[in-house]
Amino acid sequence: MALCQNRLQEERKQWRKDHPFGFYARPQKNAQGVLDLKIWECGIPGKEKTIWEGGLFKLTVTFPDEYPTKPPKCKFVPPLFHPNVYPSGTVCLSILNEEEAWKPAITMKQILLGIQDLLNDPNPESPAQAEAYNLFKKDRVEYERRIKRVVRENAAP
Amino acid sequence: MQPGTIPPQTRKRKAAEATTSPIPDDTPPNKKHQLTSAGKHQLEGLEAAPPTPLTTTTSHNGNDSDADPGADVMDSDDDFMSNLSSEDDMIQEDDSDNDISNPEDFDFDDEPDLDAGNKDSQQTMKRNYLDIDFKVYRPEDIQKQQDDLVDEVNMILDISKEEAAILLRYFRWNRERLIEDYMDKPRQVLDAAGLAQTAADKPRLQVIPGFMCDICCEDGPGLESFAIKCGHRFCVDCYRQYLSQKIREEGEAARIQCPADGCNLIIDARSLDLLVTPELTERYHELLMRTYVEDKETLKWCPSPDCANAVECGVKKKDLAKVVPTVSCLCGHRFCFGCIYTDHQPAPCELVKRWLKKCADDSETANWISANTKECPKCNSTIEKNGGCNHMTCRKCKYEFCWMCMGLWSEHGTSWYNCNRFEERSGAEARDAQAKSRVSLERYLHYYNRYHNHEQSARLDKDLYMKTEKKMVELQKQSGMSWIEVQYLQSASQALQTCRQTLMWTYAFAFYLARNNLTEIFESNQKDLEMAVENLSEMFEKPVQDLAQPGLKVDIMDKTSYCNKRRLILLEDTAENLQKGKWTFNVDLVSGAPHVNPTSAPGTSSRR
Repeated sequence: MALCQNRLQEERKQWRKDHPFGFYARPQKNAQGVLDLKIWECGIPGKEKTIWEGGLFKLTVTFPDEYPTKPPKCKFVPPLFHPNVYPSGTVCLSILNEEEAWKPAITMKQILLGIQDLLNDPNPESPAQAEAYNLFKKDRVEYERRIKRVVRENAAP
Repeated sequence: MQPGTIPPQTRKRKAAEATTSPIPDDTPPNKKHQLTSAGKHQLEGLEAAPPTPLTTTTSHNGNDSDADPGADVMDSDDDFMSNLSSEDDMIQEDDSDNDISNPEDFDFDDEPDLDAGNKDSQQTMKRNYLDIDFKVYRPEDIQKQQDDLVDEVNMILDISKEEAAILLRYFRWNRERLIEDYMDKPRQVLDAAGLAQTAADKPRLQVIPGFMCDICCEDGPGLESFAIKCGHRFCVDCYRQYLSQKIREEGEAARIQCPADGCNLIIDARSLDLLVTPELTERYHELLMRTYVEDKETLKWCPSPDCANAVECGVKKKDLAKVVPTVSCLCGHRFCFGCIYTDHQPAPCELVKRWLKKCADDSETANWISANTKECPKCNSTIEKNGGCNHMTCRKCKYEFCWMCMGLWSEHGTSWYNCNRFEERSGAEARDAQAKSRVSLERYLHYYNRYHNHEQSARLDKDLYMKTEKKMVELQKQSGMSWIEVQYLQSASQALQTCRQTLMWTYAFAFYLARNNLTEIFESNQKDLEMAVENLSEMFEKPVQDLAQPGLKVDIMDKTSYCNKRRLILLEDTAENLQKGKWTFNVDLVSGAPHVNPTSAPGTSSRR
């Protein structure tokens, strides 16, 4: 528990010192107006020169008590149209899976950049929602049209 | 040459020789050791194992169980051994006949000897259908095997033992491939296996001024830290936490990587020992041992509870349609090497799978429903007609229909109570389908009842076996017989159980068998065995004072050996025909093809 809080404080410090352009990540305030380090609100911009450019996608990152032994849970709010995002909005990514590539040394910055990469580079080997996956596999033109609509709906300010 | 491919007869003969004479000099030194130790285990296994046709040597019958193990071996090799000119012929012949040796085996020099073996005796050839080569290893043997391999690689490749172990695990303990690949391109091999290129010092904990741990962000003075060869340094507490998570929670051991993101260097055993508590180390080594057995296709754990032994057998998955590889662990548990299920001779694994599924999944309930009920055409409720006329009113949805044609009742016009539409078309088909399904159900029940009966009797016999011990003690007291003299009861009890187990599976086997001349022979064998078993079972239940009579003792001993012999005959016959592909089954043995209705023209569909 102490490890979790320590680490999150340090993550917060590091993020404020330096973070990639266009991103944001801040711990949520709870009902009493106190910062809750275990739930972060983040935003991931679509990469330049991809169909995702111009969008900013909101993400809630929840850290378990066992963090950093176990990975945080990342969830798009509202759920995102993407082959590797579950209907609930949860992101399916190897570095976020403790049985796969999660390592305690992975930082917030690496997680968010990893998800940004995933946006334009979906992994058809582990589909998480049927709609986006089927379109991605069968009708790429329609898929890209849908993405553009999603980007318009989530335009960066 | 793998030690595991040496046929059991040979091994046991060698073991027997080992007790009396020195081992022949042509065996290489390390193999010599394997042979003797394995042979010893085999002998211990013999004492405990019930009479069984697993190998020719274990197929001794009950009455020689009072002989000492060494004599046992000689006994069971009995007459046909004398037909053989030399022991070497025996090795070669067995190797080539069974076609289940490892690919690592180079038996190209077998061909000429095969002919020599053929000349020897028909009996040997026949016996071979039931022979399964296998070997049981105790935990310490398994550890030794690993250590030997590690030592060898360590010497040949000049890398540390920990690294050798990691490399071997990466190559699934295929030493030849490891050495070849490593000689070829050492860099890539080390990379892929998760090893560093550079040689480093012994792993140790260090205190480095100004160090901050990337996991917990601690940076206090005097903070102990650790890194493997990649140099990714973390504090000791984080390392420990990480390792215990991996080992305890995830059951990982062979491939625990450095905690740094993207670093795939494997943490070696020595570093681990330095970091974690002894109990965790113990678990770690247990997991490592497990991966060794699981990595090797030829090794499997004995499925018996609390048994830590592993069995080595060369039978491959693709052979399972032709052979039922039954093996026996030193703990006395007999199981099929192919599917780990308890001994199910003579039925091949695929049939066993189907049979158990059929018995478990209620498929016969569905069959009954289709034979005895119809569905309401409107709401699909299942309806069993238990009397009355054909005018049906569904109790649920009040739909009115004709039981015969299933049509709407109001459309029947004046032909009420005499549905003539039924006689014409679909009705005939529906009736046929019902009749067929009824026959199929009866057929299944016939076999199932017999299967179940033997299963139950086997269980009862097991209870009886528990009481046997007591009976034997009583008998010793009453009749003044010695411990050795009452052992025949134990043999009888074991024979009963084994034979019932076999009988049970003959019924499952028969259910899938299409009728032909061979099934006649099979059924008569089955009948003989069944009668013998029932006779023995009856004798066995007699009160103690009767058992003490010398006449009955001889009878029981005779019956025991007769039962065992009948069982062997049945199993040899089925195994031979299975090997030769002579059986015709109602279902496809090889692929998971859909179940063909057993009543549909037996013999038209064959396996393969």
